Amino acid sequence: MVNLTIEGRTVSVPEGTSILEAAKAAGVLVPHYCYHPGLPVAGVCRMCLVEVEKMPKLAPSCATAAAEGQVVHVFSDKALEARKGVLELLLINHPLDCPICDQAGECELQDYTFQEGRADSRYREPKRFNPVEDFGGDVLFVANRCILCTRCVRFMDDVHEAPVLCVSERGDRAMIARTGDEGLTQPWAANVVDLCPVGALVSKDFLNKARAWELDRTASVCTGCSQGCNTVLETRDNVVVRQKPRANDAVNQFYLCDVGRLDYRWMNRTDRVESPKIRMHDVLSMVDWSIAMREATRLAEGRRAYVVASPRLSNEALFLLKRIITKTGGEGVFRCATGPEAPLPGVEDLSLRADRAPNVTGAERLGFTRRDGDPFAGLRDGDLLILADEALEGLDVAAARRAGAVVVVGTTLPVGVMPHVVLPIANVAEEEGTFTNLRGRVQRFLQAKAAPGLARPSWYALADLATALGTPSDDCQLPSAAFAALAASEPAFRGLSYERLGLRGAPLADAMVGAA
Amino acid sequence: MAISVKVMERPVGEVSYVRATLKGLALTLKHLVDPHRVTIQYPEEKWDLSPRWRGTHRMLTTEDGKAKCVACGLCPTVCPANCIKLVPGEDEVGNRYPLVFEIDEFRCIFCGYCQEVCPEEAIHLGRHYENAEFNRARFVYDLERLTAQTHPVSTLWDPADPRGE
Repeated sequence: MVNLTIEGRTVSVPEGTSILEAAKAAGVLVPHYCYHPGLPVAGVCRMCLVEVEKMPKLAPSCATAAAEGQVVHVFSDKALEARKGVLELLLINHPLDCPICDQAGECELQDYTFQEGRADSRYREPKRFNPVEDFGGDVLFVANRCILCTRCVRFMDDVHEAPVLCVSERGDRAMIARTGDEGLTQPWAANVVDLCPVGALVSKDFLNKARAWELDRTASVCTGCSQGCNTVLETRDNVVVRQKPRANDAVNQFYLCDVGRLDYRWMNRTDRVESPKIRMHDVLSMVDWSIAMREATRLAEGRRAYVVASPRLSNEALFLLKRIITKTGGEGVFRCATGPEAPLPGVEDLSLRADRAPNVTGAERLGFTRRDGDPFAGLRDGDLLILADEALEGLDVAAARRAGAVVVVGTTLPVGVMPHVVLPIANVAEEEGTFTNLRGRVQRFLQAKAAPGLARPSWYALADLATALGTPSDDCQLPSAAFAALAASEPAFRGLSYERLGLRGAPLADAMVGAA
Repeated sequence: MAISVKVMERPVGEVSYVRATLKGLALTLKHLVDPHRVTIQYPEEKWDLSPRWRGTHRMLTTEDGKAKCVACGLCPTVCPANCIKLVPGEDEVGNRYPLVFEIDEFRCIFCGYCQEVCPEEAIHLGRHYENAEFNRARFVYDLERLTAQTHPVSTLWDPADPRGE
């Protein structure tokens, strides 16, 4: 450990830490562009220059190791003057098109110029112009806005290990270019959009959709696969408009794959079930929640529950379904869509997983059996079939007719089955809960938008249903309480609570040691 | 008991109506012959509006008749009355352009912040006051209506005295 003083604050950091990281530990943000904690240090932008006492020149803090007894001034006149000069040079060819730039509002060039830059420009010559280029995948390259920090090049080279970007030409003609015709079609390539500190690399999906300052941000977990990458759901006017990665060293570092990134549109579906329904004279009629519950109680009388659950349901919801199964001596199954794996080579144990649902491990741990082919194989004549968020797409539903009664707890109506009771629930963006990823890490997601109509969070609807079917679940009146009940009764979840999980999650008691 | 009333003695020269009536008639007679007039013969005659007059909006256009607006979103952000609705999108050549741009003139408080904040000098307040409509819905001005207006626009400040001194 070395001790140093940064802006009058003493910090102690491990040997080899850069001054920039040490400053972060001291609570001082040194302005920077090319430095990113997940990428190799390049030292090309010169924005992080700081004054270190007894050093002859200003030092780039990203590339200078902290040493014993250093006294660092980040905001001294000399350092501020130098960074002001750097900003002026970065801006000479920048088009200043903030009004039409998607990055405006979350742009580091904007932020630092506002903080430390000149109020005007002394550059009177015509600006360099390069046309906008489609980089393939989800990425659009607006060359004029680029400040050549090379974060994108280093990400593709060192983290993605697919060197498709480079800096071509030299001097003032230098620009980011593709090495071949391939472009950014790799499964994790769209991360360059997040890494780009300015608006040079922008997402085609999000292009011109919303301004950064209009968005509400909610911590969530990606539902694209069983990796469980931490994300931020960004909403505007109750519509999810973007999903971005949220840093978590134990799971996804700073990254999110393109599949997960673009997997948010279903959260805005408008063909949702909005009110409880029961079957009357062979049509579904809208009723009150209490009437639907009474009907469920009546139908369940003396029947065994056979639950087909979705691995997209939270641990809390699956736990309450398990209560129903245990009470009636029934059975719980689930099926999971699969796809090809796509690892990110530069990060250990990070991959787009084959199981394309977030809570496969949670479902298995809570006693649900995986039956990808025919989930109705164990269904007996006269069973109470509970379809929990399972729309039955692509299944032969003839077998489901064996059921004596069908209760649907879901966001949409199932295909090909006429239910007796329908209970509308919120989707993952509309409720709180937890998922267990494939390494047994339990992670929370928060509510980002409002549920439609009378739909209730899944833990709420299922606690009521469990009560209606004879297992009093008054102990689950909050998602945190439902999780506490889960932790109390399942040995694997013992010791976990929402406080303990925080927003970074925690592993199950018996999760594989050393795994993420 | 009889009520006694005290009768005041007033000087006749000061309380007589004759004097006041003659005074009033004299004033009327003076206005009859004096050409100075205060009333304006609206609508034949109209007021000269101040260059800083802040009336209903107008969207300025480029030479090819398209709105100058690039849908940056600053005016709905700055608007204290929340009266601007903006949905950004792209035009035929891929430029950022407002798909929907509506101003609810009933909600507007005519503060002029939208004009002041506009980086493209597109949205302006107008030097204009004749806004009557037969229908409330017509007071939500859409982009087509805003660009079709032709009245002069506000300067927000007096060019001769920009600091308001």
